[in-house]
Amino acid sequence: MDVISNTMWLMIIPLILIQLILMVVSIFDIVRNEQTNGPKWVWVLVVIFINLIGPILYFILGRRND
Amino acid sequence: MSQWLILLQKELLENVRNFKWIWVPLVFIILAIQQPITMYYMPQILESVGGLPEGAVFDFPVPSAEEVLATSLTQYNSLGVLIIVLITMGVIAAERKSGVAAMILVKPVSYTSFVTSKWFSVLLLVWASYFIGYLGAWYYTGVLFEFVSFSIFMQSFLMYGVWLTFVLTFTVFLNTFLKSSGLIAFISLGSIIIMSLISSILSNALSWSPALLGGYVTEFIMFAQMPDGAVISMVVSIAVIGIMLLLSVLLFRKNELAE
Repeated sequence: MDVISNTMWLMIIPLILIQLILMVVSIFDIVRNEQTNGPKWVWVLVVIFINLIGPILYFILGRRND
Repeated sequence: MSQWLILLQKELLENVRNFKWIWVPLVFIILAIQQPITMYYMPQILESVGGLPEGAVFDFPVPSAEEVLATSLTQYNSLGVLIIVLITMGVIAAERKSGVAAMILVKPVSYTSFVTSKWFSVLLLVWASYFIGYLGAWYYTGVLFEFVSFSIFMQSFLMYGVWLTFVLTFTVFLNTFLKSSGLIAFISLGSIIIMSLISSILSNALSWSPALLGGYVTEFIMFAQMPDGAVISMVVSIAVIGIMLLLSVLLFRKNELAE
């Protein structure tokens, strides 16, 4: 994979970083909240394994506001 | 006015607590900046994925910076609009369902403040996220390709922002007389899709349609001049946004008093 140069990494690191922040924030919220819509462990898996869409799905569908 | 500011503060605080102020900007940034990156590295990506026949030579035309910036903005056409509708779908409906709205409206809070403060809180969130995301795309396009002039960036930002505001206001408007957030999202997305389809098919007759702003903004970025119909389309959008906001307040008052 030598086609991936250093500059390419430099460009991609912010993207990876943002995805990581999203993932950490959602997992923090899943653990902290008393209840989610649906089992917590499923949401943790969804957030970890589905890139970008996972955290969005959790924040829109999985969160209980009341 | 002070009452309105307090209501707005409450909305903003709520959006901080439910992490909207974190995830919406981040998602908007990702949506916009992944476009310049993939377009820049397309040849390398194809190479490393492989599957090309031995000795195949591909001459990729290098896209112009304007083209790259325009395609990053069109990312918001689908996923951006979807996210806006999804974060707005329950903004009033959920509070009416859970009874919070009734609790607030028992106090001497005007219906106008209640609706407009909610509308404005989502507006702030969307515009801030959209600005950061689009600015990121502009910066990445500049580093990887060429810098597009900042005035074109700002003008296209404002122009497309009108369309996003239109979508948002329409969803808030549906909130004032429908109670289920799922239904609101469905009707809102459905109407936007139908509107875009009809407008693009009859683009000559409907050149003022707000749904054409997405196309106009692409044209504007590419050729650096306002396409015909863009200005009138913006004026119509802003007028309709004003009317929808007014109707939202009226409908909300009527529905709440009826209960």
